[in-house]
Order: sequence, then C-alpha cells, then structure tokens
Amino acid sequence: MQEYIESGSIESCVLGLADQAEQQELERLCAAYPEVRAARDAFEASLEASAMAGAIAPPSSLRDSIFEKISHSTSTVSTPTAAIVEMPTRELSSAVGWKKYLAAASVILLAGSAALNLYLYNRYQQSDSLYKDLLAQQQQLAENNSKIQTRLSELKTDLDRIKNPNFQPIKMTAVNNTNSLTTVYWDKSSAEVYLLVNQLPKPEAGKQYQLWAIVNGKPVDAGIIDVEPGDGLVRMKNIPGAEAFAITLENAGGSQSPTLTAMYVLGKV
Amino acid sequence: MTKVNTYTEPELVQLLRQKEEAAFKYLYDHYAGALNGVILQIIPEQALASDILQEVFLNIWRRIDTYDASKGRLFTWMLNIARNAAIDMTRSKAYQNSQKNRELDSNVHIRSEGSNPSLDYIGISKVIGQLKVEHRVLIDLAYLKGYTHEEIAKLQEIPLGTVKTRIRAALLQLRKSLT
Repeated sequence: MQEYIESGSIESCVLGLADQAEQQELERLCAAYPEVRAARDAFEASLEASAMAGAIAPPSSLRDSIFEKISHSTSTVSTPTAAIVEMPTRELSSAVGWKKYLAAASVILLAGSAALNLYLYNRYQQSDSLYKDLLAQQQQLAENNSKIQTRLSELKTDLDRIKNPNFQPIKMTAVNNTNSLTTVYWDKSSAEVYLLVNQLPKPEAGKQYQLWAIVNGKPVDAGIIDVEPGDGLVRMKNIPGAEAFAITLENAGGSQSPTLTAMYVLGKV
Repeated sequence: MTKVNTYTEPELVQLLRQKEEAAFKYLYDHYAGALNGVILQIIPEQALASDILQEVFLNIWRRIDTYDASKGRLFTWMLNIARNAAIDMTRSKAYQNSQKNRELDSNVHIRSEGSNPSLDYIGISKVIGQLKVEHRVLIDLAYLKGYTHEEIAKLQEIPLGTVKTRIRAALLQLRKSLT
C-alpha cells in the first residue's frame, strides 16, 4: 500500500485530475486500508490549509447577492431556472481511459499483425520454393514435349514416304545366316534412296556397314550406314538406276569395292 | 479574520442538507475567500471570478445532497466544483475572445508562463511556484488550465508517457510541499 500511496494517485484523485477508474480504485482502497484513507485525509487537510492561507476575500456585495438568490429559491420551492452545470472534466478523463484501452488494443493488434506477417512470410517462402520446383518441372516437360514433337514429325515424314506410291520398297533379306533384315525405299523418278534398318548386328569397333547399289552387275557405293537402333528412314546417296541393293561390313569410313564375304543382306529390285 | 469553527464537518453537511441558511452563511464566511483565491488563480479578474464564485455557492447549496463524505472532505468537493467552474469559464467563447487581446499567441502564452508565472505567490499557487520548472508548467496546465494529459503532450511537444510521469512526480512534490 505504501507503493500506492507514493504513486501520486491519491493527489491526482483529490485534485480532480484522475479518471473514473482511478477514483473508484482510491475509494475501494480507502475503504479497505486505513493507511490509504489516512494519506488521503492528510493530503486533503493540507490542501485545505493551503487554500485557506491563500484566501482572498471576494467583494462584500457578492455575499448579499448569493443569499438573496438562495432565499428566493427556498421560498419558491422549485427552481426551474436553476440549471445545474455538469462539469466536463470527468468526461474528458474517461475519454482518456478509453484511449488507454485503445492504445493497449492497438499494441496487441500490432503484435498479432507482426506474428501473422512472419507466418505468412514463411508460407510465402515455402510456396515460392514449391513454385520454382514446379516451374523447373514444367520446363523439363516442355522440352520433352518438344523432343517428342520433333520425333513425331520425323516419323510422320518417314510414314509419308513409306505411303508414297512413288517409293518402291525393296526388302533386303539376310545372307550368310546373319539374321538381318533391312528395307530400301527408292524413288526411281527422283533417284532418292532411304534405308530402314529393321535388324542388323551391332558392328564391331572400327567397322561400318555400307550400302551398295548393283548397277549393270557392278556394285556402286550408296553411302555409309550410320544409324542407331530405333532410327527411322535414313537418306542415302541418290541412285538413278539399280537391279539390286546390298549391305556389307567394311572398315570404318567405307571401301571402294564391297567385301563380298562380309555381305549381310541382299534385295533385288 | 477571526473564524471560529462552530460546526464539525458532519454537522455542517447535515444542516446544509436541511437547507439551513445559517449553516450556509457560515460555510460562505468560512470558505468564500479560499475558493475565491483558487478561482483567481485560474481567472485572474475579480469581476469574472465573482460570477463564478456565485455560481459555485449556488451549486453547493443546490447539490449538497450529491456530496458523499466517504469520498473526501467537504472542502475538496467544493474546491473541485470551483476549479471545474473556473476552467469551464476559460473554455467559453466569450472569455476566450476577451483574452485574445491579451495573448499574442496561445503557445507563447503557455510557454512563457512556465518560466515566468503571472500568478501571485499565495496559497496553492505559492506551493506550485516552488516546484521545479518542468513540474510547475505541467501542474499549471493540468490543474489550473484543466488540460488533459493528451492536450499537454501536444502543447509541450513531449511524449504522453513523460507527461504522466512528470505529473505524478509533480503531485508527490506538491504533497511534500503542502505538509
């Protein structure tokens, strides 16, 4: 209670500077603690003594004026003109009390908002990283799609050639038990030659397959075969006329004349 | 000035409630000077202060039933009525217009009073005058001018928290000076 007595709250209430909540607290404490009551009484007494010491006599005419009004009011029982002026100080002070709560509320709101901001920022970072991952995945898918499109377009072109009636398919079957099969698509009018490798053993290192056209009984180089498994039609050298096509295995880079012992497939036109 | 206390405070209050004019005359003779002194600290013109003092005593007469002895002394109650009435007067348009000729600028007025109070050093204002300058200014604004803490903070351009702390400190200083 000593702390309360030394807080200045008693003086603030007695002088009418405190808000209603403070006044009520003082009343409560005065009722409960004699020492608070004594401190309030002491301050009030000293305030009164001080005011008495500073007394300035008002004009003597005022006394008569006041008593005339009082006598008048008592004789007429009720006083309709007697407007009681409510003092505004308390209302102002209660507005101060209000603002205290408002300030407290805004601090709480600010703290809440900061926490929310932190939470939302974390969520944003999670979402951002997820978004970047998805963006990378999407890019990968787009690239794959583009590859597939290209491949599809190639295959479509191949299919168009196969369907084209100008292209004559020449099935080249295995010789020397090589278990191989290839097909040449040949357009006699344009001399274009395309090769489809259905099956060929993988050449050993330093060796390459070579396509030959047999023209008037003599082999003519139709190009080195450089294909991967799964490739479609491969453009070879133009051949204006031929009786047959054959493939031999030659040293890398190809040969001037075919090694007939290493023939894998042969197909007559 | 020979003022003989012929009533105890509860007796006086009891008689005032019974509308005993004799008791009221005693009250006036005993306290009019003190209340007038307080009013003059806020409204330093006797003609206006007399109007307020009359209103104050009429209010005391009419509203004595609202006085609650458990909340404080009779004089404290009357003092607050007087102070509030005087501060109300300073806020009235008529009073503010009459003061405009005397004040070049309200801010200058308030600031200058801090270091150079225009009040006579008597009674409560004498005690206020003994306070440290920063305390004196705030008590002057809060008690004699009736400004709220927020208004004082704005006028003096100091934080609200500082205003509250200084007023508390000033009030404790005031108590020590009074006793």
